[in-house]
Amino acid sequence: MSQPDIRTELQRAAPEPLLPIEKKLIGFSLGSGLVLLVVLALLNYFLPATF
Amino acid sequence: MSAIETASPRAAWSATETPPRISEDWLSVIIGLVIFVLALAVLANVDLIGWAVTTSVWSNLGQALGTASKTYAPLGGAGALLATYVALLAVLSAAAMALKADVRKFALAFTAVFWIAYASWVVGSYASFAAVTPAELQRFGVAWSLRLTNEGGFIFALLAGLIIANVFPRFAETIKEAVRPELYIKIAIVILGGFFAVTAAGKLNLASSLLLRGVAAIIEAYLIYWAVVYFVARKWFGFNREWAAPLASGISICGVSAAIATGAAIRARPIIPVLVSSLVVIFAVVEVLILPFLAQTFLWQEPLVAGAWIGLAVKTDGAAVAGGGITESLILAKSAAEGVTYQPGWILGTTATVKVFIDIFIGIWAFVLGYIWTNHINVTSDKAKIVEIWQRFPKFILGFVLTFLVGLYLALGTPADVASKVPVAIGEANTFRVIFFILTFFSIGVLSNFKKLWQEGIGKLAAVYVISLFGFVIWVGLIISWLFFSGIKPPLAG
Repeated sequence: MSQPDIRTELQRAAPEPLLPIEKKLIGFSLGSGLVLLVVLALLNYFLPATF
Repeated sequence: MSAIETASPRAAWSATETPPRISEDWLSVIIGLVIFVLALAVLANVDLIGWAVTTSVWSNLGQALGTASKTYAPLGGAGALLATYVALLAVLSAAAMALKADVRKFALAFTAVFWIAYASWVVGSYASFAAVTPAELQRFGVAWSLRLTNEGGFIFALLAGLIIANVFPRFAETIKEAVRPELYIKIAIVILGGFFAVTAAGKLNLASSLLLRGVAAIIEAYLIYWAVVYFVARKWFGFNREWAAPLASGISICGVSAAIATGAAIRARPIIPVLVSSLVVIFAVVEVLILPFLAQTFLWQEPLVAGAWIGLAVKTDGAAVAGGGITESLILAKSAAEGVTYQPGWILGTTATVKVFIDIFIGIWAFVLGYIWTNHINVTSDKAKIVEIWQRFPKFILGFVLTFLVGLYLALGTPADVASKVPVAIGEANTFRVIFFILTFFSIGVLSNFKKLWQEGIGKLAAVYVISLFGFVIWVGLIISWLFFSGIKPPLAG
């Protein structure tokens, strides 16, 4: 693909609405990420680093 | 040279007519292990690589260079430099041959890359740039110093590369055959495994704690960063899925490799991950020039937070791990000036651990995306296959783990007379790790042709990157680094 094509493609790309599967992916990633982070933070609190 | 053409390791070999006999990934494992094994000969009282060149802080150029081992001291600094160049030229030319590159072209290009990069490193070690303490200033007879430490030379190598890329693009094109940051940093990371093992051996509990905390990095990069960046790219900037997925992986996971793995997994056109990779390299340069100094200023009292933060915020292996090296030097220097002398290796080890943990899961994440894309979004007969996880697994991590385990065994599981020689042996291997870091920094600079990249029309991609990186990634990375690493200090030296 030539360089002007990329510029044009990025500028004129037709909008693609988020599909339900994409929304699920984003929601599941973020949700599970935050839950796991809280779990790890609790583990970190109750099992502090040993020196 | 186009930044696009060379940011991707895949694209770097596109000039060859047939596929390489071996991947850069496996080659890095082989070369790293060869250096590691040769260094271990010290355990049998045979010094095989002590001739490698090292550089000290200097005010008299004649005293700048030396050999890694006193055994080879008669060689002198210039002799060591020449020997190192010849050895690397031979080994890397053989690697180029295995990769089916033009060996003659590679040898000429590597000659330029090596000498310019190493000269930049030597300049960076000049006392007025590198001396840190008042005692050093007095010893070297200089009135002031930028206090960048010896490893500030990495910044000089990066700047030299940037100048070549942006002022002498034709020369950059001429030497592109040897501009291979991914190969150089992977070799360095394989060697780093042994170095980290020796560092960890003295404080195994602390090292285990750091490893466990590395898990937090995976969650952040894959589950939190990726989802947010993908959402921003799709919803706020209107990118389609083919662009948004590699962009999200490039910004949130591990730059070049993640963008390429994701692009392939979702069956995107090859140009897309390559463009994203170019962008990642450019931003990594900006980050490496800024973040270590911010870390020194604001996080010097929390050294491991700083190390983890660099690993989470800088998005290529090369820039992140080498940036961890700079951060370590700057923080150790500042701490020493305040009267606290930490053992070296822990900050860099934390950065590398975080990065390696993130890298391990690239293949799995790419498979998950590939599965969703080929089954639910662009339904195709070319479904994602489980074997792709292994195909996309970064093999250099196996080298890192192997040198780490062997180093740990030698340091902890052998008789005292053998174990006492392990730090010396690993120290010699580490000399090459530093040299590969220098080559990495210089190469990243040479790949960063800002003007060219802008002409290629990726301003909108860059906007997503700026907003995600500076508005989100570095701050969340800082919070998580603080959450998991604050209060954990490296052991004191001595």
